[in-house]
Formats: sequence, structure tokens, C-alpha cells
Amino acid sequence: MNKYTALIIDDHPIISEAYKSALLQVQKQQENISFNIHIAHNCDTAKEIISDFSDRKKTIDLVFLDISIPPSKDKKLLSGEDVGLMINRVFPSSKIIVSTTFNDNYRIQSILKNMNPDGFLIKNDVSPKELVSSIVEVLTNPPYYSKTVMKLFRNQLTNNFILDDIDRKILYELSLGTKLKNIENVPLSTSGILKRKRHLMQIFDLESSDDRGLIIMAKEKGFI
Amino acid sequence: MKNSILIKILLCLCCVFFIGIACTSSISKEKKPSKDTSKQDSIALWIKASKNKKLTSSQQQKQLEKAYLKLQSTTKDTLHAKNLSNIAYQYLELKDATAFHKINNETLQLALQLKDSFAIADAHWSYANYYYHNKNYEKSYFHYNIAYNHFEGIQRDFETAKMLYQMSFIKGIYRDYTGSEVLIIEAIKKFKALKNYEQLYFSYNFLGGLQKDIQEYDKALFYQEKALAYLDRFENKKNYRSSIFNNIGNTYRYKKNYTKAIEYYNKALSKKNRPDQLARTTNNKAYCKLMLHDTLGIQQELFRALRIRDSIADKTNILSSKIFISRYYEYAKKIPLAFKYAQEANIMAKKLKNGSNYLETLQQMANLDPKNAKQYLERYIQYNDSLIGVERRVQNKFTRIEFETDEHITENKLLEQQKNWIYLGSFGMLLIISLLYILKVQKSKNEKLLLETAQQKATEEIYLLTLEQQAILEEKKVQERNRISQELHDGILGKLFGTRINLGFLEITKNKKVQEQHQYYLEELQDIEKEIRDVSHQLNTDTTNTDINFTNLIAQLLQDKSILGNFKYKLTLSEQISWKTVNELVKVNLYRIIQESLQNIIKHANASQVLLAFSKEQEHLVVELTDNGIGFNSNKTTKGIGLKNAHSRIQKLNGKFHLSSVKNQGTSIHIQLPITITI
Repeated sequence: MNKYTALIIDDHPIISEAYKSALLQVQKQQENISFNIHIAHNCDTAKEIISDFSDRKKTIDLVFLDISIPPSKDKKLLSGEDVGLMINRVFPSSKIIVSTTFNDNYRIQSILKNMNPDGFLIKNDVSPKELVSSIVEVLTNPPYYSKTVMKLFRNQLTNNFILDDIDRKILYELSLGTKLKNIENVPLSTSGILKRKRHLMQIFDLESSDDRGLIIMAKEKGFI
Repeated sequence: MKNSILIKILLCLCCVFFIGIACTSSISKEKKPSKDTSKQDSIALWIKASKNKKLTSSQQQKQLEKAYLKLQSTTKDTLHAKNLSNIAYQYLELKDATAFHKINNETLQLALQLKDSFAIADAHWSYANYYYHNKNYEKSYFHYNIAYNHFEGIQRDFETAKMLYQMSFIKGIYRDYTGSEVLIIEAIKKFKALKNYEQLYFSYNFLGGLQKDIQEYDKALFYQEKALAYLDRFENKKNYRSSIFNNIGNTYRYKKNYTKAIEYYNKALSKKNRPDQLARTTNNKAYCKLMLHDTLGIQQELFRALRIRDSIADKTNILSSKIFISRYYEYAKKIPLAFKYAQEANIMAKKLKNGSNYLETLQQMANLDPKNAKQYLERYIQYNDSLIGVERRVQNKFTRIEFETDEHITENKLLEQQKNWIYLGSFGMLLIISLLYILKVQKSKNEKLLLETAQQKATEEIYLLTLEQQAILEEKKVQERNRISQELHDGILGKLFGTRINLGFLEITKNKKVQEQHQYYLEELQDIEKEIRDVSHQLNTDTTNTDINFTNLIAQLLQDKSILGNFKYKLTLSEQISWKTVNELVKVNLYRIIQESLQNIIKHANASQVLLAFSKEQEHLVVELTDNGIGFNSNKTTKGIGLKNAHSRIQKLNGKFHLSSVKNQGTSIHIQLPITITI
């Protein structure tokens, strides 16, 4: 009999309830598995629970993690991403299932890269059945990625060029409609960014210097 | 800019003014009639023929008549006046007083009409000559004076000096010695400047005579020597020399140095003499001999002189001959004879109004007839007084003539000056008025221009403001869309998901059909989620479409104007143009030009259709605005301010602007601009 400690982090009670149902469903189907379930609706509660477990020298085995949750009051944890990184640090062996409504490639990519979760679910992809099976998969044979994430991987594998973080960041900002001079978080001057942009145009084989074409292409190729 | 225009205008006006003057003066100078040359030649020929001494005077007069008739057919100009004057003078020479008066008067009138000072003076000179020969010295002096003033006015120095000489001569006759001396010295000055030695000879000879008359004999001799010296400096007729010798002899005679006098008379007689000169010198010499009591041959000589004088009817000198003969008979103690000649001389002197000789004969008669001496002396005194009175009166008259002419001249000068001032004043006024007018026009033009620029600036500002407003609006829109997208995505979608999953975990254990339906609705819910997600997604990604502001504005403009101008329009925008890269200044200018052009279409073209197309050709943005209105002749029409503006705007942006219009077929504007502009 394996007893797992599970932590559900989601700001919507109805969703956390759904995960709980799913866990219970797993417990019901797999006789050797049982869950000790904790629920947090924001970063602060999540942090408290984690600290509590850590203090008691106990570990958390499975985490359902939503990305967009209310940040901590001290603003140290801004989103589920930060919480995930904290869990990775405190409980390196815990398995995290990121479950988010985000479906833009850039965010998915960056979460995958930063956190490397054992499961990645795009909420809309998932049906109750799939949810159950994903839990089992992650526990027994990780990783488990939902359909949209799989598609992204495939797109990127077929591309024969590599964009670095800065390229992706620029594309992402442009897709948000940010003006060139207002792009922050990129360690480049405006002319530097322009150069990168022209380079990206060449990569995507675009003629017009229109941002729109660039962004559409980048989306198509799964960079954002 | 304003200043430079003013200067230009002034220059132009000045040019026009001076060219005008130059033209009128050159015209008046060059207007010598060429067709008249042959006529002029024949006139000159006839006048010359009339001077031919071989012809009889009636023949000479005929020549003059021909010349005069021919002259009538020529233009009344300066040359005409000159010829007239010549003819008049010839009549004077021929002693035809009536013809002379008629023609000289005609000359004078024409000269006055032409304002030809020389001709006026010339005519007066002729009159003076005429009166002088008729011994009407007062009138002669009057005309000489007028001629003198005219000649002086046009700086004809020779003629001026000649007039002075003549006037001096007349004054001398009336014993106004001082006045005469002043005039002759003035004449000498002028002749000296002209180096006219002949006239200097005459002048000094006359001056010597004057000095002799006031009994300054040494001075007289000094001047006469001078006259003699001048004789060597020009080629002269021989009788000039005998004349001066005779005069020097006279001076010595009056000085009572009779030997010296006889010496000079002999010198004079050794030269060639005219009969009157011969008579005079012979007479004088005989008188000197008489004074030296050398009576040998005197009687014959005196009578020879008288005979010569009788033969040439030289009345004045016959008189002096008779006086000398009377003196001779007195000396020879043949008193009755002496008295007879004195009496004859006295009657002649009275007839000739020769005052000095009349007095002399009276004295002589008193000497010869002691019985009646008292009576003669009384007549002498009476006449002498009246003579002095006459002389004084004439002298006064001369002064008055001079004064009146001077006054007349100054008055004329004043009038001329006044006229000049009026001309100058009116020209100045005209200049000032035209300047003021030009200034006013310029000012209103400038004001219009300023207004135009201000308006232009305002429209540009409005455009930029609209653009800004549009941008803010767009931003707000995007923000709102993003917010809705966020809401849908994070809130609603999450809740739906939770609800769906929870529903899925509900144990539905009724019949199979219910279970299937449950499953179906679950899937339906998932689809709804997907749809919402797509909507949210689209809302979010449309943000890149914010750069259509300019085209929006153009479309709006077209729409507004089409309602105003009641025309249909079509706007074509090439997809190739990325408006974001087009410089804002280019957009502003394009907007402004399109706005202006549309305004023109509404105002003038009467078009029912307007096409506006933006396209890209290589690296150029091409704008084409075409209407199907009434058009105009684009070659003939001078460019309006709007068109000029458009031109200069495009030129500033390194572009090309072309307008073509065909009457009744419409107008088309073609603008080509480089896309990447560095301003």
C-alpha cells in the first residue's frame, strides 16, 4: 500500500475539488494507492503547507499546480511557476503536474524549461478520464503531457533552426503589442532588438518588415 | 523678402523713368527727316545763289523767293527755323524791309514755338541789325539785348560776345562811355577765351576809340597798339591795317601831336584803302597839316576827300569834310566861304541829328560871325542841354531795357523752376502713390500667405491630434480586449473546466442512456471551453492590428468629403505597404495634400467619382488621386497656391508630384515618394 501526500494548488475551489475527485477516483481504482490530500488556493497557503511539511521532515509526493494563482503577500512568489521552483528546491523528488489554461507556446516552453514538471496538462485538453490516467502515469511512468503540449514538441522538432531565449522573449513581447522601445527584460538596445528582428525575419523567410507577419509565423512555428 | 521686392520695384520704376527720358530725347534728336534732305539741299543752294553779287538785286530776290516757297513744304523744325532765319537775313542784306520783317517775324514765332533759344536769338539779332542800319539804335539795342540773353543762356560764347560788342558800340554812340567800356571789356574776355583774334582786334580798336573820346589818349594808344598787335596773329584784309593806323593818327590828332598823327596817316595811306577810308584819312591828314600851318595842297586834298564822299553819298563824312573845309577857309581868312561851309554843315548835322557836329558847326558859325555870335552860342547852349538830356534819357532807356530783360528772364526762370517743381512733385507723388499701392498689395498678399500657413499648421495639428486620439482609443480598446480575454481565460474557462471535471466524477448510475447523455454533455462542455478559449485567444492576438490609423483617417476623410461633394469613391490600399514604417511626416503631408485636392474636387471639378489608390512600386510609395470631373487646361493655368504648396511639400520629401488634367475628362494627381525617408 503506497500512501502519497498530494498538494493541490489552484485558486478556484471548484477546480481543486475536481482534482480531489480525480485523486479519489485513482485511489478507488488502484487498490494499492491512497492519498493524503492538501489544498491551497494561493501562493501564501501553498508556501505555508510546504514549509510545514519541510519542518516536519516530511515530503510531498504529488503536486497539482496551477500557474495563474494569487501571488504571495510579500510578492516573493508571483505565480505557480515560482511555487513550482520552490517545491523543486525543497522536495526534489516530488512529482509536479502543471495544469494550466495557458496555451501559448512561449509560456509552455519556458515552464517546461525552468521547472521541468513530470506532468503538463492544458486544462481544456483534459477529460475526467484523462485526468485520472495522467495521475497514474505520472506516479508510475512519468512524464505525462497533454495533447497541446505534445503538438508543441512536434512542431519544434520539425523546425531546423534554433531560437534562443532572447529571440523568444522579443517575439513574445511583440505578440503582446509592446513597442520596440518599451521592451524590457531583454538585455539589448533598441537597435540590437531591431537587428534580432531582422534576423528573425530572415529565419522565417519573410519579406515585409511587418510585425504581424512575424508574429503569425512565430505562432505557427510554435515559438509563442 | 519684403525689402528685396521693394527695391526691385523701385529699380524698375527708375529704369522705366530713365528709359522714357532717354527715348524721348533720342527721338527728338534722331527725328531729322531724311526725305527732306534733297529739299534742304536745294533751299541751301538758292540761298547761296541769292548771295551772288553778280546777279541783280531783283534776281537775287527771286532766288530767295524760290527758297522760301520750297521751305514751306518742309517740316517745321529747327532746321526750318534756321533756313527761315537765313532767308530773312538775306532780305535784310538786299534791303527788302517788308520781306525781311515778314519772314523774320515768322522765324521768331516758329523759334518760340520750338523753344529753340538759338533761333530766337538769331531772329532778334537780325532785327537788331535791321534797326542798327536804320540808325534806330534804341530798338537795335533792345533786340541785341534779347539776343544776348538767349545766346548766353545756351552758352554760345562767340555770339554772346558779339552781342556785347554791338551793345557796347551803341552805348558808345550815346556817349555812355562807362557802360560801353564795361560791355566791351566783357566781350574782350569772351573773345580771349575763344582766341578769336579778329574780334579782339575790333574790340581793342573800339576800346581805343572810347578812350580817345574821354580824352584818355595814352590809354587809347595803349589799346590801339594792342589791336595792331592782334592784326599780326590772323590773316586779315589789308584795309584793317589802314583803319587802325588812321585811328591811331586820330588819337594823336586829338592829342594835338600833329606830326605823329601825319606819320600814322601816311602809314594808313600807304596801305590799301576803301574809298571812304581814303577820304577819311586824306581829310584827317589835311586837317593836321592845317594845324601845323602847312597849307600846301591842303585845299586840293580836302576837296578830293569831299568829292570821294559825295560820290559814295557818305553823308556823315561829307558833313565832317565841310567842317574841315570851313576851318581851312577860316585859316585862309576867306571868312564868307568859311561861314558858308559851316552853315551847310550845320544844316546837314541838324538833318542827320548828329549832335556833336551840330554843336561844332554852331560854335564855328559863332566864331565866323561875331555879330550874331551871341545868337549862335545861345542855340549852342540850348541844344547842348537838350542833347545831354536826350543822351541821358537814352542811357536810362538802355538801363531799363537791360533791367526789364533781366526781370523777364528771372521771371521765366522762376516759371521754369516752378514748372520743374510741379513735374518733380507730381512724379514724386505718383511714385509714392504707386509705392503705397504696391506696399498695400504686398501686405495683403503676405497676410493671406500667413493665414494660409497658419491654416495649414492648424490642419496638421488637427491631424496629429486625431492620430494621437486614435492611438489612445486603440490602446484603450486593446486594454479592454485584453481584460475580457483574461477574464474569459482565467476565470470563466477555469470554472467551466472545474465544473466539467467534477461533473465527470459524479457517479451517474441510472440507465445506460443517461450515462451516455452525461458523457455527451461533458464533451459538449469541453467544446464550449475550446470556443471560449479561441475567442479569448483571438481577442488577445488582434492587438497587432493597431497600425491602420492612417488608412482609417484617409477612409474617414474620403467618406466625409464624398458626402460634401456628392461623389462616389473607391479607396484602394496595397497590402504591400507597411504603414508603420512610413514616416509620420510623410503621412501628415499626404493627408494634407489629399485633403486639399479633395477640397478642390468639391469646389471646382464637379466630379461624380473619385479614385484614391495607394500602392508600392519598388521602394516608392505611389499615391494616385483621380476624378472624372470637368478638368482644366493644366498647361495654361497658372499654379494656385494650393498646387504650389503640394508641389513644395512633395519636393521637401524628395518625391515627385505630377498633375495632369484634360478638359471634360477629369484630373489626376500622381505622387511618388521614397518609402524610407530621412528628414
